[in-house]
Amino acid sequence: MVDVEVRRDRIIIRYKGKKWDWILEPRYWRNTLIWSALLILFPLVSYFVSPILLNTVITANLYAAVAIPLALMTLGTGRINFGPNFFIGVGGYTAALLSIAYGWGPLKTLPFAVIASLISALLFSPLVIVARGLYYVLLTLLLPLVFLEITFIYTDIFKGDVGLAGVKTLISTGMVKVNFLIAALISMLIMLLYLWVVNKVIKSRYGLIMAAINDGEEVAHGIGVNINKVKILAFVFASGMIGVIGWFYAHYFGTFAGITYLPLSFMIKILLVIFIGGRAQVFGCVVGGYFIAFLEMILITTLGPIQPVIFAIILTVLLFALPEGLFGIYRKRRYREYMPTLHVRR
Amino acid sequence: MWGTIEVVLTYSLVLGALYLLVSLGFSIICGVLRIFHLGYAYLFTLSVYLTWMLMKELGFGLIPALLGMVVIQFAISYAIYKGIIMKYVAQEEIILTGLLLISIIVEQAVTYRYPIQAGVFIQTTIIDGSTEIGSAVISNQLLAGAAIAVILTILFILFFLKTKIGLAIRALSQDIYSSRLIGIHVEALYTFTMFLILIPVIIGTLMVAPVWAVDPTMGSLYMTTAILVAILGGLGNIKGTIIASFLVGFTHATVSFVLGEPRFMNFSALVLVMIILMVRPQGIAKSEALW
Repeated sequence: MVDVEVRRDRIIIRYKGKKWDWILEPRYWRNTLIWSALLILFPLVSYFVSPILLNTVITANLYAAVAIPLALMTLGTGRINFGPNFFIGVGGYTAALLSIAYGWGPLKTLPFAVIASLISALLFSPLVIVARGLYYVLLTLLLPLVFLEITFIYTDIFKGDVGLAGVKTLISTGMVKVNFLIAALISMLIMLLYLWVVNKVIKSRYGLIMAAINDGEEVAHGIGVNINKVKILAFVFASGMIGVIGWFYAHYFGTFAGITYLPLSFMIKILLVIFIGGRAQVFGCVVGGYFIAFLEMILITTLGPIQPVIFAIILTVLLFALPEGLFGIYRKRRYREYMPTLHVRR
Repeated sequence: MWGTIEVVLTYSLVLGALYLLVSLGFSIICGVLRIFHLGYAYLFTLSVYLTWMLMKELGFGLIPALLGMVVIQFAISYAIYKGIIMKYVAQEEIILTGLLLISIIVEQAVTYRYPIQAGVFIQTTIIDGSTEIGSAVISNQLLAGAAIAVILTILFILFFLKTKIGLAIRALSQDIYSSRLIGIHVEALYTFTMFLILIPVIIGTLMVAPVWAVDPTMGSLYMTTAILVAILGGLGNIKGTIIASFLVGFTHATVSFVLGEPRFMNFSALVLVMIILMVRPQGIAKSEALW
């Protein structure tokens, strides 16, 4: 029988030995709700004030949406993946190739992009077991670079640095501004969904297991955790989530070129979203994503061709100047959750 | 058939020796400082473009420009060691990302000032022409580079095995705390190692620059090879690095001349690394010591 218990701060539902909590106390969800509402309002306001901002909002959402699963992957595998953009490439190329070959729209290509990302992640998942610490960092760093090389080798398939054109667009209402607004809202929904899912996972029993693995694999193994299973699951699940962003890029721009997403310059942005945002804090990923996307946009519009140099210099300074990231400034005052320290060497 | 074997063997040896030159510095820094120098790519780019800049912007001759480049490289290495590596040695993810960012800054700055259309070229050819070895035809400059690579590696090995500083560096690569206990000046040796790795990098770049492509992204390509060799060799072990360099050279030569697909060179090396890591997760040699 379903047993419902109403307490002062929460409603607890019990069914066949399982338990669900629904927290009523506002202090647990008020800030999240306020920030989510502000984020959703932002593209709507931009639509009327300055539509150019919409593209930056989309970029920011996508940076955050890659960084959030990467934070989960980092926590679950106890290793930092320096090549998450590999899965953007897999998802993006799968969607673009299928869309061009069969004229499929985004809804039809989505499952295939996810499946391709999951399969490629499964293929490379032994890395999380055999390669430790710095070995893992270097191997994952090489994956997107080698994939990029393959896209140049098979130019007849991947069209080299020109990229695949003619991918069916995500939205086509006939009005460009509205298309941008809807794309911004979809990217926002994906990002918020990722944030919610990953936050739930991290705060669940599995999150605790992942934290145990992150803190000490041997200790986690000693207390009965099937570390290989958890590491592979975290790696594959997060890779599938990142693959979806590749799918989004392909259908949003109507083109997909590996040279945009696979080089180190893109990967470093994602890593900096994590580090400058808040050292793999999931909420910090959103802060980092928005900060980096807007900084980049401001520098592009003001500095011209020297922007990549100045952008990299500013990010380097911030990397060293903000030891706990932007979210760390907030967290110092309101310490809420425990996120294990990241170790690369293990 | 015999002709193909001759070509593969010749190129395996030459490429292997050149890869050794490219990766030796990366391996040594892995072995001694126990970090990955992900900014390693900028060393190659700066070797060429600083020389070019000193020649074109300040009107230096080739030799003064090369000397100036070496001095600036030493100064930058010192600054990176003091400003980043020494301060953040406990936070490896920061070191890795920071070094990678520095590499990107250099690459972008070079692209901005000297884009690929600028036609940067430095005349560091030692021997012109080419030589026929059996069925293989190979540039004399690359042969000279390979010979220098072998000599330099032997000198490095002798330095690490026969000198007191080499002994101290090997001790440091094994155990930093014990090294401190027996009075080794760890910081000084780390700085020295940062300088030491510049030698093979600069010589290697200058040897291959007249033959192989020079562009602002050249460093990333060499760093990819260095990373593959370092992982395969066992992260910081010189014996492993030597074997791994020739293995990668052999793989590249086989893919290029037997399969006829030089485009697959890096991909084949990555597959080789992954296969070997499956069998020996620690790489070819144990990485606990430099030698």
